[in-house]
Amino acid sequence: MANVDSAQSAGKKNVKALAGKYLTFDLGKEEYCIGILKVREIIGLMEITAVPHTPRYIKGVINLRGSVIPVLDLRSKFDMDPKEYTERTCIIVVEVKGESEAVLVGMIVDSVSEVLNIIEAEIEPPPTFGGDAVETDNFLGMAKIKGRVKILLDTDKVIGATGLGRLAMV
Amino acid sequence: MVGAEQSVNGLLDDMAVKIMMIEPGDLSSVGELLEVLEQLTAHEDMASQAVLQRMACAFQAALQDLIMAELPDTAESYQQLAECISRMQEVKRNRDDQRAVAAFCSHLHSIGCRIDPAGLVAGQQGAAGAAGRDDNNDPAFLRDRELLECFIDEAGEYLASIEANVLELEKEPGNSEAVNAIFRAFHTIKGIAGSVSLPEISSLAHAVENLLDEVRSGRISMDADVIELVLAVDDSLKLMVAHVQDVSEHGVAYQPAPIDGQLALISSLLGGKCGSSRPAPDEASMPAKAPAGEEPPPSPPAAAGVPDFMKDSDLLSGFISEAFEHLETIELNVLELEQNPNDQEIINNIFRPFHTIKGVSGFLNLMTINRLAHATENLLDDVRNGKLAMNSGIIDIVLGVGDFLRTMIQNLSDVLEKGQEYYQQYDINDFLARIKICQEGSGAGLAEEPVQVVAAAPPVQETWAPRPAADPPAGEPPAPAMKTVEAGVAAAGPPQKKNIDAAIKVDINKLDGLVNAVGELVIMQTMVRHNPLIASLSDPKLNKDFSQLTRITTELQKTAMSMRMVPIRQTFQKMTRLVRDLSKKTGKLVNLVMDGEETEIDRNMVDSIYDPLVHMIRNSVDHGVQIPGERRKRGKPEAGTVRLSAYQKGGNIIIEIADDGEGLNTEKIRNKALERGLIQPGGSYSDHEINNLIFLPGFSTADKITDVSGRGVGMDVVKKGVEKLRGRVELQSTAGEGSLFLMHLPLTLAIIDGIVVGVGAERYIIPTIAIRESMRPKMENYNTVQGKGETLLVRDSLLPIIRLYHVFGVADACTDIGQGIAVVVENEGRQRALLVDELLGKQEVVIKSLGGYMKDIKGVAGGTILGDGRVGLILDLAGLISVSEEMGPGHLNRLNAIQE
Repeated sequence: MANVDSAQSAGKKNVKALAGKYLTFDLGKEEYCIGILKVREIIGLMEITAVPHTPRYIKGVINLRGSVIPVLDLRSKFDMDPKEYTERTCIIVVEVKGESEAVLVGMIVDSVSEVLNIIEAEIEPPPTFGGDAVETDNFLGMAKIKGRVKILLDTDKVIGATGLGRLAMV
Repeated sequence: MVGAEQSVNGLLDDMAVKIMMIEPGDLSSVGELLEVLEQLTAHEDMASQAVLQRMACAFQAALQDLIMAELPDTAESYQQLAECISRMQEVKRNRDDQRAVAAFCSHLHSIGCRIDPAGLVAGQQGAAGAAGRDDNNDPAFLRDRELLECFIDEAGEYLASIEANVLELEKEPGNSEAVNAIFRAFHTIKGIAGSVSLPEISSLAHAVENLLDEVRSGRISMDADVIELVLAVDDSLKLMVAHVQDVSEHGVAYQPAPIDGQLALISSLLGGKCGSSRPAPDEASMPAKAPAGEEPPPSPPAAAGVPDFMKDSDLLSGFISEAFEHLETIELNVLELEQNPNDQEIINNIFRPFHTIKGVSGFLNLMTINRLAHATENLLDDVRNGKLAMNSGIIDIVLGVGDFLRTMIQNLSDVLEKGQEYYQQYDINDFLARIKICQEGSGAGLAEEPVQVVAAAPPVQETWAPRPAADPPAGEPPAPAMKTVEAGVAAAGPPQKKNIDAAIKVDINKLDGLVNAVGELVIMQTMVRHNPLIASLSDPKLNKDFSQLTRITTELQKTAMSMRMVPIRQTFQKMTRLVRDLSKKTGKLVNLVMDGEETEIDRNMVDSIYDPLVHMIRNSVDHGVQIPGERRKRGKPEAGTVRLSAYQKGGNIIIEIADDGEGLNTEKIRNKALERGLIQPGGSYSDHEINNLIFLPGFSTADKITDVSGRGVGMDVVKKGVEKLRGRVELQSTAGEGSLFLMHLPLTLAIIDGIVVGVGAERYIIPTIAIRESMRPKMENYNTVQGKGETLLVRDSLLPIIRLYHVFGVADACTDIGQGIAVVVENEGRQRALLVDELLGKQEVVIKSLGGYMKDIKGVAGGTILGDGRVGLILDLAGLISVSEEMGPGHLNRLNAIQE
C-alpha cells in the first residue's frame, strides 16, 4: 500500500510539470499526446527505405530534406494490430534523447488531430495494470478532456535510445 | 595599478638596476626590462614629457631588436644601453637636455641602432623612426607586418570574447571563470601589443589586467562600475585596433589614441576600492612572472614537486596545446637545420618557440619544463651568437629535449584530463648535463664569463657578417634599404613561409553541414532537371539556364569540398624525423625525398594516414634499404633513397613510397608462407600473389625482431588502415632494385564512388573500390558444396556466393543465379560473389549516417540520398561477409523449402 502511495505522490509531483501544449494523434481508437516542444514537424507518408537487421517496428529510413532519419511504426511498437496506411497516415518527426545527443526520429501514426492546451487539473498519473502487458513506463500520464481520455506519451522512453536500446544488438 | 604608484623616476631607477644585472644571453631579463619600460611609456606623467617618451620608445625598439637578435647580444650592448638609461634620467631631471639626448643617440648608434637626435627633440610623429630602419617615419608597429596582421586578427577575437564574457558576468557576477577568461584575454592582448610596439594598447590592457587581478583575488568586487569600465576599455581597444589596421592597410597616419582618461579611471577604481594600505600592486602582479626569469640551474627539481599549476586549468590547457604546436615547429626546423646548419633564420625559428615555452611554463610554475627549455634556449643562443658551432650533437640534444618536453607535456595533459595521480616527476638532469657539456666543450664556458666575451668578439662579428643590415657602421643610408629588400625576398621566396591572409576559424560541424547541403543541392538539381515534365520541354533558354546552374553548383561543391582539404605536407614532414631516427638506429644512410607535398587531402584523413605511412616508411628503411657496405657491393650509392610522393589521379589521391633497396625476397616469403600453411605446396602462385602475402596479419620474414620492425604487424596495419579509409594498397617490387608501395585513397571521406545495384525494390550502393568485376554467372560455373554452400568459379578461383536478398531479407528479388548479376567484391583479401538483380549505374554518393541510433547495423556502412530522393543504403562489405557467415549457408535449404 505504502508503495502505491509513494508512487502516486511521485506521480502527482510530475503532473505539475506536465501541463502545457500537446499534439494529439490517433492510433486506432486511442488518442495519444506528445509535448509540442518535442515535435519537429509532421510530414505525409513518403517512401521508406528498409534497413535490414532491425526490429520489426523499425520501418526503415527516410530522406528528411537531406538528412537520413529512422522511422518506426508506433502501432507495431505497441504490438497493436497493423492497419493499412491511408492518406491520413503521417509521420511525426520528434526529437528524442539519443546516446549522446538529441536525434530525430519519425513515427508513423494513423492520423494527427489537434494541438491542445492541457492544464494541470486534467492530468492524472498513469494507472497501473497487472502483469507487464502494458509498459506504463512509456506514459507520462493520462489527461481527461471533455470526457475523453488521452494518453501522454513519453517519447524519450518509447523511441529514444533507452527505449529501443542499441539496434545493433537485435 | 602600477604606473600610478611608482613615479617616472622610480621606474627609471628600476630600469637602471635591472640593466646592470642583465648578462648576455639572458633574454628573459631583457623581457622584464621591457615590462618596466612598458609601464614607463604608459605612465600618465609621461604624456607631458614628449622627449622622454620618444626616448623611451626608441629604447624600447632597441631592446626589441636585441631580443629579435637584430642587435648583438653582448655585454658591450648592455653597457651602452645602461648609459642610455642614465641619459634618460638626466633628461627627466633637466627637461629637454639637448646634450643628454645627443649622448643617448650616440650610445644607441654605437651598438648599431640608427637614431635621429633631431627627431627625438623635434618630436616627429611616433618615436619609431628612431629605431632607424624605416626612412619614411612609419610607426614602429609597421615593421613586422606579418606579426601585425596576426595581432589585428587575434586582438579582434580576444576583444570580442571579452565583450561576451563581460556580458555573461553581468548576468552572473560570481562567475570566476568569466573573470579569468577576461583576464587572460587582456593579458594576451597586452603581450602581443607589446611585442608589435603598440604601447598605448599594451598599457591600457595592462592596466585593466591589473584591475581584474584585484577582482580575481577578491580585493575588488565586480560591480557595475568595473563592468562598465571593462566594456569601455574593450570598446576603445577595438577602436584602436581598427585604427592600427587602417594604418597598416591604407597607410592612414597613425595617431596614438588618448588613453589617459581611462587609465586614470582604472587607477581611481583601484585606489578607491581597496585603500592605500594594500601591498604594492606591482608585487601582486609580478610574482607569477618572476620564475620565468629565475636562473635555472642548479636548484634541485624538488621545487617543482606539487602540481600547483593545476590551479588554472584553462591556462594550462592553452599552454599544452600551444606547446605541442611549438614543439612541432621546433622539430621541423631542427630537421631543416640539419640540412643548412648555418642558417641563422632557422636557428631563430627554433629559439623562439623554446623561449615561448620557457616563458609560459615559468608563468604556470612548471619549473621542470621551464628549466629544460631555458637551458636549451641558452644553448641555442650560444649557437646563434657563434659561440658554439652547430653540430649533430647539438641537433640531437635539441631533438631529444623536444621529445622529452613532449612527453612531459603529454603527461600534463593526462593530469588535466584524468586527475592528479597521473602527475609524474621527470628527471631532466641528464639533459641539463648534456647541454652543459656541449656548452663547455666547444664554447669553453663563454656564457658564464663576460670578460671572455670581449675576447671572443671577432668570431661573433663574423657570424653576423652575412646579415648586411645588422653589421655595417650605423648611419649609412643604404643599410635599411637592403634590409627591406632582404625581408621582402624572404617573405616572397621560400614557400613554407605562408602569407597570413584574412582567415576565420569555423566549427568543423558547420563546415560538414555546408558540404552536406551542397551535396543535396547537386542532387536536387539533377532531380529537377530529370523531372519528366521539365525534360520534355525543349526551350533553349531553359537548357542554357540549366547548364549555367550546373556550372554554379559544381563550382560551389568544389569550393565547399576544398574548405576541408589540407596539404599533405605536414604529414610528410613528420616522416623526415622518422627516417632520420631510423637511419641512425639501423646504421643505414637514407635520404628521404618528398614530392607533391602540396597535394591536398581531406583533413579528416590526415590522422588516419599517419600510421600506415609510418609503417611503410619503417618497412622501407628497415627491410628495403641495405647497409652502406652492402649497397657498395651492388654498385649502388651508399645512401639509399626513400621517395615519398603524393599526387592526384582521377578521383583518388595516390601516395607512393618507393625505395631503391633490396626489394621483396619472394623466395623467402614463399618459404615462410609454406611453413605457416598459407599456401599449398606445389600450388602455382605468381610472384605478385606471393608478395602480397606480406599484408597478412602476423606475417614477417624477419629473422629477428628488432625494435624497428619484424613482428609482422606493420603491413597488416597499413592494409587495415587504408581500407578503413576506403582506399587500397598496391605493391610492386623488383628483387634487388627496390620496392614501391602505392596507397590509393579517396579524395574525401564524405563522398564515395559507388555502383548502385537493385535487389527487388531496394537499391544498394557498393563502394567501387571494393568491386573487382561483375558478370552474369554461367550455370556451369555454379557449384554447391554438400548441397548447401554455393560457389561460383571466377577465373580459376571458387568464390562463395552471398545472396544479398537473403542476407537483407528482401522480398521479390531474383532468386535464380542465372538471371541475376554476380558482383565480385573483395574485403580484407576475401573475395565473394554478391548476387544482385541488376546494376543500375555508377554514382558519386554523399555518405550520411543513418541517423538516430541506427549506427552499427552490420552490413550497412551508411545511407545516401539517391537521385530520385530516396535513401539508398551503402554496403559495408566486412560486415556483410561476417553476417553471411553467421547466417550460414542456408540459401539452398530455404530455396528448397520454397520450391516444395
